[in-house]
Amino acid sequence: MMKRTRALTALMAAGALFVAACGGDDSSSTDESAVETTAATEETTAETTAETTAETTVETTPAATEWAVDTSLCVDPAAADAPIEGTLKIGSAMPLTGGAAAAAFAPVKDGFEAYVQYANEQGLLGDVTLEVAIEDDQYNAELTPGAVNKLIDDGATIFGGIIGSPNNAAVRDTLNDNCIPQLAALTGSPAWGDVENYPWTTGQLAPYTVESKVYAQKIAELYPDGANVALFHVNNEFGQVYVDAFNEIAADYGITIVADETIEATDQNPPTAQISNIAAAQPDVIMAVPLGAQCISFLTEVANAKAANAGWEPATFLTNTCASSLILTLAGEAANGLYTSNNLVDINDPASLEIPSVKTYVDYMASLDKSEIATTAGAGWNTAETIVAILVQAQASEAGLTRASIINAARNFSYTPMLAAPGVTFKMAGAEDPFLAESLVVRQYDAAAATFTDIGELVTEWES
Amino acid sequence: MEVFLQRLVDGLSYGSVYALIALGLVIIYRGTGHLNFAQGEMALFATYCVYQFGEWGIPVWIALFLGMGVGFVVGAVSEVALVRPVSKKSPFAVFVVTLGLFTFLNWLDGAIWGGQQLPSSAMGSTQLRFPSLFPAEADALWNVFGVAIRQERVGILAMVLVISGLLYLLFNRTKFGLAMRAVASNTESAKLVGIRTNVVLMVSWGLAAAIGTVGGVVMAGLNSNVNLGLMFTVFIYGSAAATLGGFDSPGGAVAGGLIIGVVENMAAGYAQEWIGQEMKLAVAFLVILGVLLVRPSGLFGTAKVERV
Amino acid sequence: MNPLFTIRQGSTANWVLRIVVSLAVVFVLLWVPRQGGGLITTTIEALTLMSAAMALNLVLGYAGQISIGHSAFLGVGAYTTGIMVSRWDLSPWLTFPVAFVIAFVVGVIVSFPASRIKGVYLALVTLALGLVFPYLLTWKKLAWLTGGGAGLPNSDSELATTGFDIGLAQKGKMQYFEIFGWDAFGDLRKPEAKAAFWYWIALVVAVVVYLVCRGVVKSRVGRSLVAIRDNETAAAVMGVNLVRTKALVFGVSAGLCALPGCVIAIKTGGVSPEGILSLTVRGAITFLIVMVIGGAGSLWGPVIGALLYTFVTDKTGEWANDSAIPGVLRPLFAWAQIPPADGMFAILLIVLMFVAPHGLAGTWRQYSQRVVRIVPRPAGAVGAAPAAPPSDPH
Repeated sequence: MMKRTRALTALMAAGALFVAACGGDDSSSTDESAVETTAATEETTAETTAETTAETTVETTPAATEWAVDTSLCVDPAAADAPIEGTLKIGSAMPLTGGAAAAAFAPVKDGFEAYVQYANEQGLLGDVTLEVAIEDDQYNAELTPGAVNKLIDDGATIFGGIIGSPNNAAVRDTLNDNCIPQLAALTGSPAWGDVENYPWTTGQLAPYTVESKVYAQKIAELYPDGANVALFHVNNEFGQVYVDAFNEIAADYGITIVADETIEATDQNPPTAQISNIAAAQPDVIMAVPLGAQCISFLTEVANAKAANAGWEPATFLTNTCASSLILTLAGEAANGLYTSNNLVDINDPASLEIPSVKTYVDYMASLDKSEIATTAGAGWNTAETIVAILVQAQASEAGLTRASIINAARNFSYTPMLAAPGVTFKMAGAEDPFLAESLVVRQYDAAAATFTDIGELVTEWES
Repeated sequence: MEVFLQRLVDGLSYGSVYALIALGLVIIYRGTGHLNFAQGEMALFATYCVYQFGEWGIPVWIALFLGMGVGFVVGAVSEVALVRPVSKKSPFAVFVVTLGLFTFLNWLDGAIWGGQQLPSSAMGSTQLRFPSLFPAEADALWNVFGVAIRQERVGILAMVLVISGLLYLLFNRTKFGLAMRAVASNTESAKLVGIRTNVVLMVSWGLAAAIGTVGGVVMAGLNSNVNLGLMFTVFIYGSAAATLGGFDSPGGAVAGGLIIGVVENMAAGYAQEWIGQEMKLAVAFLVILGVLLVRPSGLFGTAKVERV
Repeated sequence: MNPLFTIRQGSTANWVLRIVVSLAVVFVLLWVPRQGGGLITTTIEALTLMSAAMALNLVLGYAGQISIGHSAFLGVGAYTTGIMVSRWDLSPWLTFPVAFVIAFVVGVIVSFPASRIKGVYLALVTLALGLVFPYLLTWKKLAWLTGGGAGLPNSDSELATTGFDIGLAQKGKMQYFEIFGWDAFGDLRKPEAKAAFWYWIALVVAVVVYLVCRGVVKSRVGRSLVAIRDNETAAAVMGVNLVRTKALVFGVSAGLCALPGCVIAIKTGGVSPEGILSLTVRGAITFLIVMVIGGAGSLWGPVIGALLYTFVTDKTGEWANDSAIPGVLRPLFAWAQIPPADGMFAILLIVLMFVAPHGLAGTWRQYSQRVVRIVPRPAGAVGAAPAAPPSDPH
């Protein structure tokens, strides 16, 4: 209902999602100056993935009992099984206007559209042509239901890449009731793994809960005698999900929480007071889940606090939504040595260009004259690629291309995307594995070289 | 004790920003009896200009003065062209015009600078962070009785005190200041004794916006970026400061700002269970409400404040 | 100036005019849901916005009390629906009266300090209230109720997966909406039925808000209000109980403002301080802009303002992208990196204060009266007039 005058809220929201959506593409995995212990393992993984990612292959997993959607609950079961021919329209709702949100997300949209264009040019779906229709919801969940209704009215066959947790939540009932696939929700909320109640909704990003647990595990590795950890998180659903997951398993890893500080998503003041409280508790590790610009002020304040408290040198684990090259560059020296995680390659890293599929992407963006946004557009490209891969698999299935076969393909899926970090495969398997990406590699940032170093191997512990 | 001093210094530095916004409100109020809802947005527009000057390679202190100039012009023009003509109609019309200015300026910032939260190197930006006026490196510290005090915070506080001092001199030691006080106490009589009230009012608005600009630049520096939402809450804290100090007392505005900054920081720090980060703003709200109900003239204001 | 036509109230011409206007309105209201797609979506937004603006108008336009905090009352409504449906599994219908009552009580409480604080000071207090409200929702001491920063349905709870969507068949919630056995919309899970359903809820809310506002304004209370607005001291001397009248009106206004909040919560299927932007202070500023542009102190003002605001904003929404701007206007707007609607309305707001302080509705009345003027019946002729049904078509 309220439309454009909403910079205040949109700002932080945009920051959140911008990094949520784009954070995945800015870290390097094949850094030559890697620590010796990890160098060996890295080399081998790099080799094997170079082969698997050489071309966009679709592997169908021949599972014994494939999960299949029950279309009898649909409003119109016949529509779910009707063959899709000619044009397939992918609908989406993204923040395209509304100040910060639009500025942050324009590249995601460009990357998304670029891949669909690429897929059409490559004829990946044979005689089916893909079309994209993206409505503007300004990252306001109030507007998403209307935008989606409008798109359905305009003939959208499936939805994909809707940005934002509240935004996806606001339309999942409509889409599930009508058996319209809602693929690749661009958020890491664990809510997108609810196969029983929302079989038609799938997420794209690694669940925030998994990321949180990966950090807990890594902290236990680095501090075998137990660690005192301070939490710092933004006071909204995003921050809460991380912290709840972390608290849940902290004890199992010998972690003691010594401080828990919050920041409001719309707060403009740097978290000076919060960080002095954390410094007073003298933790070994700070586990931080800030948003957007707050990532920078958090890092700056921690650096300040360290300078003021000689001898206190905590390790900082920072959510990968903060780990975009832009944010880390702005944070400068203060970002040095932080730990984060990822599952995509860094497009800026010259070493990743040696992976043919990454080079294909970069060249294609260059051919569209969009090289300058290639880094941030990667998330959009990767999302559209996942959706198209699902469509290709559905088309190859016995049922042919229908809405039901699309969601069946999505939920029985295994695919190595072009921009994946070595060893990463996107997988889903019915109710057993409701999430696409659950493997992350922990990385440490080197501010001087602006590169990441892998710390240990890909953590696949929460991959199901 | 260390933590207490730390919080005190932090509170004083944020309080300085509130004091600057409050000063602007008070200067305008004294002259016209209007509450300028666009005060924060005028400052924000000028702050964006400072950012732009920085992009063009102008050093931050010079950019600050240029930005204050822009702020002055925006404030003065708003008064002459928009506020003065409608102020004859009704206080409500003035309120609506300041609200319109508020919305328009915020939109204009977005229209010109795109409203992106972070200066983006991809968008041709050469300067990576909004510059701080004072040394802001992690080790720019002074150790005072074992407490590490950031030079930046001390610099901000000192600057606000200097500005307040200059304003005091302006109000009390210059002919123009005398004219301002005359207009503040009785516009009609001031006019009769030959004071050019129009000029005085115009300059008041300009001055208010220029001082606000300093607040905006300091805030953006503390936050290392400028964005469209920067001044919303600052404006409320500033209003709370002006209310607390008394709407017609410049000294009260400064004291009010510093008090609000410290109280807010202490409350969030020590009453974490109850107030914490999420209810900091409620402190400002309760101050505004409480003062207006119990003592509308604030701590240092004169009792006539209830007019309007 | 003498109008071209003069129509006497209660005359045949007056009735014809009323019936024609009513039929036209009814026609449009029935036509919109058949269009589907973008039109119905925008109309639903306009309806919720106008309800909030009409509620605000009662306090601001009639009682002359400036409020920039009405977003908080809308938020009370949205959260009442959210909490009752999501936490306690109650019927969404029940939430409308409950939301009204809660917001009414909050409004009355707010009105007591408000009646002692005047003019722009009240604006300041309510602005602070509007800014604080979303933080109150995230407050950890209230998280047991509001879900804190995460909002409702809370993602860690059971409720995360159920939501409170009205049309969800397998949850045993309402799938069909029947009025005396007549299935009004068909299967509510279908998007077009859902859109029509939201539209009718939003419309009914808007009509109810309009009728209550009209009732208040035309009543004794309404006349007291205008008296207070125009001269408080005189009103008090005339025997108007200032505090009670203001409290009543503030309460009614707050209660009414909660109703569109319920509609939004039902539509969005979840509430959070970030997800629903109308409950932030930016929402309150929009209500104000809409109301003033439409015409403060006029029953139809907020309606006109909301329609104009929503449709212009929708039409110009893509204008940040230069190629979306129609050719003639491109040089005018191409430089702006964000859509122009906010700037346009801000300028309109300021211009109106100069040329037409009574807003578009006031201007319309002024000009339309040059064509047709409806004059009251002469006092003596009341008994002689034909006995017309006393009801009003609106």
